[in-house]
Amino acid sequence: MKISASNANMNLINQSSVWKRFKKQKILHMFVWMGIMFLLVFSYTPMFGILMAFKDYSIVTGIKGIFTSDWVGFQYFKEFYNDYKFYEIVRNTLVLSILKVIFTFPVPIIFAIMLNEVKNMAFKRIVQTASYLPHFISWVVVLGLSFTFFSSNVGLVNDLLISWGWIEKPIPLLTSASHFWGLAIGTAMWKEAGWWAIIFLAAIAGISPALYEAAQIDGAGRIARIWYITLPGIKGTVVVVLILTIGSILGGGLVGSNFEQAFLFGNASNNSTSEIVQTYAFKVGLAQGRYSYAAAIDLVQSVISVILIFSANYTAKRVSGSSLF
Amino acid sequence: MLKRKNKEDIAFDGVNYFLLTIILFATLYPFYYLLITSFNSGSDSLLGGSYFWPSDYTLENYSTFFTQKKWLIAFFVSVMRTVIGAVTGVFFTCLVAYGLSHRYLVFKNFYFVVVIFAMYFSGGLIPYYVVLRSLGLLNTFGVYIIPSLLNTFFLLIAISFFREIPSDLKESAYIDGANELTIFYKIILPVSKPLMATMALFLGVGQWNSWLDASYFVRNENLRTLTYRMIEIINKSEVPRESIAQAAGASDVTSYSLQVTAMVVSIVPIICVYPFLQKYFVHGIMLGAVKE
Repeated sequence: MKISASNANMNLINQSSVWKRFKKQKILHMFVWMGIMFLLVFSYTPMFGILMAFKDYSIVTGIKGIFTSDWVGFQYFKEFYNDYKFYEIVRNTLVLSILKVIFTFPVPIIFAIMLNEVKNMAFKRIVQTASYLPHFISWVVVLGLSFTFFSSNVGLVNDLLISWGWIEKPIPLLTSASHFWGLAIGTAMWKEAGWWAIIFLAAIAGISPALYEAAQIDGAGRIARIWYITLPGIKGTVVVVLILTIGSILGGGLVGSNFEQAFLFGNASNNSTSEIVQTYAFKVGLAQGRYSYAAAIDLVQSVISVILIFSANYTAKRVSGSSLF
Repeated sequence: MLKRKNKEDIAFDGVNYFLLTIILFATLYPFYYLLITSFNSGSDSLLGGSYFWPSDYTLENYSTFFTQKKWLIAFFVSVMRTVIGAVTGVFFTCLVAYGLSHRYLVFKNFYFVVVIFAMYFSGGLIPYYVVLRSLGLLNTFGVYIIPSLLNTFFLLIAISFFREIPSDLKESAYIDGANELTIFYKIILPVSKPLMATMALFLGVGQWNSWLDASYFVRNENLRTLTYRMIEIINKSEVPRESIAQAAGASDVTSYSLQVTAMVVSIVPIICVYPFLQKYFVHGIMLGAVKE
């Protein structure tokens, strides 16, 4: 009784002092509200803007038009489904994303394990430091680099292959539909593998050295130690990163950048494999001015992404016990 | 303790060092190749064959780059957006973070929900474009700066950093009659220099590398950035060698050699700040990504 009475008393004091505290903190609240206003304008207004996917929106009506224009229901979603490019861009999005995850997900893990096995600290540091430099380079520069190395005109690789007599004619790596996926996977790996290895290196560093020593005394070789100690030791981290990857698979997973690659490396010659949902939406919206249609296309991808992250999280929780939320 | 190397060890190390050396080469050689090509005369680069040093050394590519108005403006705009974008972004994010870092802030939970939700969900590019358009930001320099004033990732990092600052520091200032703004300026910011340096570096690199806004949110040719000009020249470059050489005419500078020079100019600042970036980012990425 006594306790609840004093609790009630405290509540009363708290309630009456909320306003007082607020007034005392008013400058702090001013700071916070500047941030909240920013988010309202640049994050929350675009979220409400999704409504335009269900409306007959015209750009001249501005933000107000998002709310005042007429509803059209699922018209634009049906239109997207009947779009002559629908099959192609959905296939490209799925194939590119899935291939990218399959090929790029194991690479940072393998690279981290390889680095961890290096005993020469100077060499290890040089390789590691170099490996994440490309992460900080713009995709535009990576496009330029690909041009320098793979173009059929001035590309170093084609030059070498021809001069060695391996090929007769240059391979149009940058301008042929059949090479785009490989190019995207390769450049993404080059740019991001070293960066993501950091996380796995940190996880490996957390494994107790005593385990390795014990295994060594028991006669376990290098491969056996990697297989029975390192890999189980980083399992938790791998699962967490895998969930993140699957949740963002339509953006390209861990290495991301599907949009950047499709946009920058895409051209008229490889359009049939390089056009993905996001780039198509962007072009339809900004180049053709069909904003509602573009927003609808974009929304399809966002909804699939949200479903994917929740199901990946659920599966991970059931299978391994680790999950994000 | 002497460890005896058995056969497996030797084989494993051999393969491992070999593969890592290849990786090291594959990572660094592209940068080196750009560098030598930028110091090689344009017409000679088109012939190919200079793999390890310029066969026809020249500074002409750079002198052309830094005298052509188009490139100079692009370079200047890139520098300006990097500097202004980083400074304003750091200041604004820190200001909001300072407000949110107060332990007994009223409505704190509500504010955090607003921030976290905005961090995970977005309306997509099309509605975002509509918002920029309605605000009249399109085709202004502001479109580079204003939408990136607040970075939610660094906001959370700054909040946890400010919470570590001993409250005695603030209290003594209160007693001396300072208000929150003075405390922020005179006490919080000076003790947060490492945090601000890290944020400035990352925001600056982001600004320097960004290309989508410069390509689609501005139309004024005087607002184009270095990244935009590079995309432009690369897209034009996929033409046969002979026509590049012809277009260049008597000059030894070709569109290709100019493109490579622009790329070097764009990479060098990143490499200059790289040692500083590296010092901080391992901690940064761990904070956001690993859950134990």
